[in-house]
Amino acid sequence: MTGSTGAQGAAPSSPAGGDAVESRWAGKEVRGSQDAGDSWRAREAAHAAALAGLPGMGPATLVRILTGASPSQAWQAVRRGVLTPPGRQGGDRWAAAAARVEPEAWWESQRRRGVEVTWWGDESYPPVLRGDPSPPGVLFWAGSLHALDRARVAVVGTRSATPEGMAVAYQLGRDLAAAGVCVVSGLAIGIDGAAHSGALAAAAEGGAAAPVGVAASGVDVPYPRRHALLWKRVAACGAILSENLPGRPAQAWRFPSRNRVIAGLSQMVVVVESHASGGSLITADAAIERGVEVRAVPGPVRSPASAGSNQLLYDGPGPVRDARDVLDGLGLLTVAPASGRDTRRAASARGSPLGAGRALVAPPVDPDEAEVIEAMGWRPATLGQVAERCGRPPVRVAAMLERLAQAGLVAESGGWWSRRVGGGR
Amino acid sequence: MLAMVTSSTLIGVEGRAIAVEVHVSTGLPSFTIVGLPDATCRESRDRVRAAILSSGLKWPQRRVTVNLAPTGVRKGGAGLDLPIAVALLAADEQLPAAATAGCAFIGELGLDGSLRPVAGALPLAHAVSSSVVVLPAACAAEARLAAADVRCASSLGEVVDCLVGRRPWPQPARAGRLPPPPVGPDLSDVRGQPLGRLAVEVAAAGRHHLLLVGPPGAGKTMLAERLPGLLPSLTREEALEVTRIHSAAGVPLPEGALVQRPPFRAPHHSASPVSLVGGGGPQMRPGELSCAHRGVLFLDELGEFPADVLDMLREPLEEGQVLVCRARASVTFPARVLLVAAMNPCPCGAEGGPGSCRCRDAIRTRYAARVSGPLLDRFDLRVHVNRPDVGELMGSASPGSAAEPTAAVAERVAAARELARQRGYAANADIPGRLLDRLVPLGRGAERMLEQRLRQGRLSARGMHRARRVARTVADLSGWPGPLREEDVQAALALRSEVFPPIQGLEVPA
Repeated sequence: MTGSTGAQGAAPSSPAGGDAVESRWAGKEVRGSQDAGDSWRAREAAHAAALAGLPGMGPATLVRILTGASPSQAWQAVRRGVLTPPGRQGGDRWAAAAARVEPEAWWESQRRRGVEVTWWGDESYPPVLRGDPSPPGVLFWAGSLHALDRARVAVVGTRSATPEGMAVAYQLGRDLAAAGVCVVSGLAIGIDGAAHSGALAAAAEGGAAAPVGVAASGVDVPYPRRHALLWKRVAACGAILSENLPGRPAQAWRFPSRNRVIAGLSQMVVVVESHASGGSLITADAAIERGVEVRAVPGPVRSPASAGSNQLLYDGPGPVRDARDVLDGLGLLTVAPASGRDTRRAASARGSPLGAGRALVAPPVDPDEAEVIEAMGWRPATLGQVAERCGRPPVRVAAMLERLAQAGLVAESGGWWSRRVGGGR
Repeated sequence: MLAMVTSSTLIGVEGRAIAVEVHVSTGLPSFTIVGLPDATCRESRDRVRAAILSSGLKWPQRRVTVNLAPTGVRKGGAGLDLPIAVALLAADEQLPAAATAGCAFIGELGLDGSLRPVAGALPLAHAVSSSVVVLPAACAAEARLAAADVRCASSLGEVVDCLVGRRPWPQPARAGRLPPPPVGPDLSDVRGQPLGRLAVEVAAAGRHHLLLVGPPGAGKTMLAERLPGLLPSLTREEALEVTRIHSAAGVPLPEGALVQRPPFRAPHHSASPVSLVGGGGPQMRPGELSCAHRGVLFLDELGEFPADVLDMLREPLEEGQVLVCRARASVTFPARVLLVAAMNPCPCGAEGGPGSCRCRDAIRTRYAARVSGPLLDRFDLRVHVNRPDVGELMGSASPGSAAEPTAAVAERVAAARELARQRGYAANADIPGRLLDRLVPLGRGAERMLEQRLRQGRLSARGMHRARRVARTVADLSGWPGPLREEDVQAALALRSEVFPPIQGLEVPA
């Protein structure tokens, strides 16, 4: 990148260098009154948004420009043709584009639609992103940025999720939100949407942290369309963030940079299900680059939907079985864990907020039932398979499974029976 | 000169008596057919003319008018060729009018004067008012099921010769006893699959509609094909009813013409609505649904059938018949079938267990939505079928576990049907909901279990009725005539699993 000459040319009078960057976040020029401050902010916001909309403007260039100048100053420099795009060609592209727009009027119309913006150097710019290796130059948002004040955990995963993965993501989202953790995700089909839905479900019950969605399209362009309602709810409850200008469609190349924002915002990234390659692995890579812990939910070793997440498990710090593991990793668990199951039992006995109540599997009363349980294994099986494995008539096995289900030892979903860990009560 | 002979035409699965009047008069030579003939019927003038000339008879060079009465009914098919030819010869005085008296004629003519078989000979022969029916030799066996005096011939010349007494009517080979019905595939071919075997047994015993869900190669089709073998043979009346439908639809009839075994029809998923339900053309051909009457209608790859075609099955499955209405006619087709359907758990055809599928939830949801809820609800039995174990396939299973043959299972099915008959219904699926409390009482354990399920919201009221009938069948099969036990209900519920469970997290909470 060779844009620095332009940036320096834009604001020769402004101080440059690391100290100046630090000082930018502390405060702004002295303002006469609240009203004057508001109109100043609105003008700066309009110019920041307009700068982001210049052709060929990327986050690195924008951050560099805004490090040296306020948005208004930079905009004036662009208008005058002093500040030019990096690279050799198209030196007057920005000036020409800037001449065509009326930033303040345009921004006012966006604001009326509920879109807000914060920029590199703005006091409401999320503190967590200030130290990011490749921070966004501007962040458009709808909702409230206060959602980011809590502990933040990204729950991400594949779009082609299995029902099992969806259920895990939903539960993680719900339990984390209930424990006061802001669930950050990408609003996509599959795991992302399920995690958001879970967080919203907890929020609906009250007392939970609000979710934050990071979009690859403009914050006013719900993508995928099927999640329009989810968008509305996430924005109403927490916030939707996007680096992209309002109205921009979701395009494939925008997703990796969206994923880096997710990683940058989070204190931990939990991958629920991921194929051997996919967007959630990009998020994971971005998180590792930033020193953010990446954890994964273990999946069946033969399931393609868990290939990527299981690889992360192999490489990474540890598995996530439920929200407690995440809280433990964040140091938010009030009870210090000693080891494994005993701690969990102790915690549940004390009525923890997650009181999932994990107990040992109670021994089945009947030796026949024990045999059926044994035949089930730990992967879901149909009644036919169980009957075949233990060589008993299906009518008898059905009756036994039903009794075991009553005892909470097995559960049925869609004709598939599985053993339950948490049963026995 | 005027002549009249009787015949019949086909509407739906019923014949309709027709009078064929021919008037031959002076005037310019012409040949006109009036009385709502369809295209095939109108073409018969050319066939009749050629057949008469080929048979060495004279074609009247005069004005010929053919009237098909009653004129309001549309006549279709080529079955009126023979009566038109005979009436024409009589009107032209080549045949004495007395020779045709009391005879009805049915048959299609070839240009060489040969007589060809027609579809629906059984209902056609049944409908004629005359005591003697003359028709092509190939149709004689099925016509004989309906009419006492059936004369057959192989050509127009032979018909004329026999009518004037130049030679006797050919004596048909007297069919003594009906040949035994053909043996279908045997259930002992199915390895493993305890649940699938149980499901077809219960389906056969109680006439419960069955949905088999499983990956490709699991043996769904194999199981379905063996289901008709478990059903009891048709009674004489049922057999006649089914034969009449098959005859009208042009389905090849077995040797001896009488369909004695429950039919098995498996239309491809490209089937059109009319081909499945019936209708089309003035004759209103019965659809596959009616062809499977008193037997098994097997819809393989249920998810590939167009949704509108499937939804047409909804009412007929409840009513046991289908009323097809067109502007000119409405026809009731019998349609009491045992519906068996098979489909994959999802488009990728994976085993179907949670976590094994590569499909996106959107694709899964769309696939599941192809079968509407109301139709899914009509399946009393919904079971997962898995690919058999390698050991089972290679036959290395213990020798004691040899698969039961069809005959042994059919015996239990027959016994269960007998119990159902004692309750006043042919099968348990026919018991109306309001009589369940009286005819299908619950034991205490069973009642407690159903109540618990209802409270948990895992069972709907309609689902409970259906589960109760299935439970009755399970009890009947085990030879238990008393009130339903807990295990009967448990088995019934296990045989009716939710095949497409909702995916958690797809719904956005309010």
